Amino acid sequence: MKLTRENVIRWAPALVLLGLVVLFAAINPAFLSQRNLARIALASTPAMMVALGVTFIIVMGSIDLSMEGVVSLCAVLFCLLFLRLGGSLGAGAWLAIPAILLCGAFFGWLTGMVHVRLQIPSFMASLAMGFVGTGAAVLVTGGDIVRIEDDVFRALLTWRILGFPLMVYIAAALVLLAWFIQNHTTLGRNFYAVGGGEELAHASGVNVRRVRLAGFALAGVFYAIAAIFQVARLGQAESVTGANLMFVAITSVVVGGVALWGGIGGVLNAVVGVLIVNVIGNGMVVIGLPNYLQDGLLGVLVIIAVVLSTDRRLVSFAK
Amino acid sequence: MTMQRIKPHLPWITLLVLTAVVGVVDPNFLRPANLLSLAGDIVPLFIMALGLTFAIYIGGIDLSVQSMANMITVIASIYLASLGAWVAVLCIAAGFGLGMLSGFLTTRLFVPSFISTLAVGGVCFSVAQWLSGNRALNMDAEQRNATFGWMIGHTGIVPNELFLAAALLALCLFIERRTVLGRVLKAVGAGEPAAKASGINVGRYKMLAFAISGALAAIAGLLFSVKLSGGAPTIANGFLLPAIVAVLVGGTPLTGGVGGVLNTLIGTLIVAVIRASMLYLGIEATQQQMLFGLVLIAAIALTIDRSKLRTVK
Repeated sequence: MKLTRENVIRWAPALVLLGLVVLFAAINPAFLSQRNLARIALASTPAMMVALGVTFIIVMGSIDLSMEGVVSLCAVLFCLLFLRLGGSLGAGAWLAIPAILLCGAFFGWLTGMVHVRLQIPSFMASLAMGFVGTGAAVLVTGGDIVRIEDDVFRALLTWRILGFPLMVYIAAALVLLAWFIQNHTTLGRNFYAVGGGEELAHASGVNVRRVRLAGFALAGVFYAIAAIFQVARLGQAESVTGANLMFVAITSVVVGGVALWGGIGGVLNAVVGVLIVNVIGNGMVVIGLPNYLQDGLLGVLVIIAVVLSTDRRLVSFAK
Repeated sequence: MTMQRIKPHLPWITLLVLTAVVGVVDPNFLRPANLLSLAGDIVPLFIMALGLTFAIYIGGIDLSVQSMANMITVIASIYLASLGAWVAVLCIAAGFGLGMLSGFLTTRLFVPSFISTLAVGGVCFSVAQWLSGNRALNMDAEQRNATFGWMIGHTGIVPNELFLAAALLALCLFIERRTVLGRVLKAVGAGEPAAKASGINVGRYKMLAFAISGALAAIAGLLFSVKLSGGAPTIANGFLLPAIVAVLVGGTPLTGGVGGVLNTLIGTLIVAVIRASMLYLGIEATQQQMLFGLVLIAAIALTIDRSKLRTVK
């Protein structure tokens, strides 16, 4: 394999992940203990869902910054609906799950409509819709915390198979689903068509607007799943349940090797990216560094990743 | 009169109509003392929006302003004791430098500004947590009054913040209307490739625009911490949305090129009136974020120049 720029970009994220694991394990062998690996996997799960959702959008060359608001709103609505339907997964409250997935899809579609119909750049359309989502979550809860104490639902967290909580396995299955959508459906291919060149995609008969709307709705579904996982992990929801997920998810996807310009990278890159970010977060604690360095370090990483993935011959200026 | 001709006048018409409506509902609202204290309260937000105007004026965005202000409240609270009034210089230099860094990342390394400023915001947040040890800090009240008391007192019935705001507005207006920098920023906002083709060192001026944005966010943070007599890594959360709304409602579109700092003055006043009116009309503070989000979408949709966007990504 030749050492070209493309190859370096393709393999760099995986090598960085490997390097980090080796580094932390060398400093403190407890890093590789089964309990710590389970901790990393559990912490990664909600962020992984958000990252999968936003990957589809970044592949299209757009961006979505609404995840904090959508996750908070979906988490809060999920808890309220769950309690209203009996408060136990066995007693009909399972209906809250499909309902909240639809809700996420609807909110994502709405963001897409603001972006596509009103012709507002996606970063600003989604940022504004994120604020609307957080505001709605505050409105619904009145600033209170909603708790769920159903043992069957909390089994997502408490039921461990080979040491890993149930939701980690479900998340792995959803990664496969996302990979399938990306590689084996028309929609998935159309995301790449739009990301690779919108005008070309349009000229070859792709309904670009509909693809964009579908992308945002699909992302909304994954944010709703992230919300359900957050509730399962924490046992409660409030208007800040989604806090910090935006920075973590965008950083993960970009660090994993999905190019902001669209058309390059995909679901597997997002998985590697989320693992890199969470390994760093966990590893810093394990080797005794204060965790407040994390946001700054992620900021530096995301810049490096964007710079590396930018083909400077093709870009003349950035806004 | 076509829509095209009314558009530039929409911001101040909106402001007048809103003020009149609230004034009719509650005549007390229009008392000069009330209006002045309202204006005084909004000054930190205004200063932040003033800086943000420069970033948006060139077609970029600065999402780090809130984290910047957060970090500065911590820096101001910690170093007031040892540096005295010089802490202001430290704060502004930090803001200017980090803004410059965002500008460097955007212009020289081609990182889109919403990502570069998000990343710099992450760095600011880390620094704020590191310096403060993740706690709320207090300033020594006596020293604060001796050093920065002039910022927050009253002259007659006029809050002193307004003088500070007026001075900064005058400075920004001077930069925008009377300097080479101002003209170049307008050229960049109107069409960057053309500005570049006419031989302007676009990168250097764009970096300055982000640096001004950072410096003014720092001043906003300093004033905010003086007002609250303390600082914390998340104390200024909630500033970003109204600051962006103020710039866009004022009539500086996301695509840049038109509008400017006077528009931001009007935009900030609109935000202040909306906030106050919602309290008067019985809508609580917690419900305002959703409304401001919707106002933001409407403002962008009305002002954005679609002819500049070949494809909307």
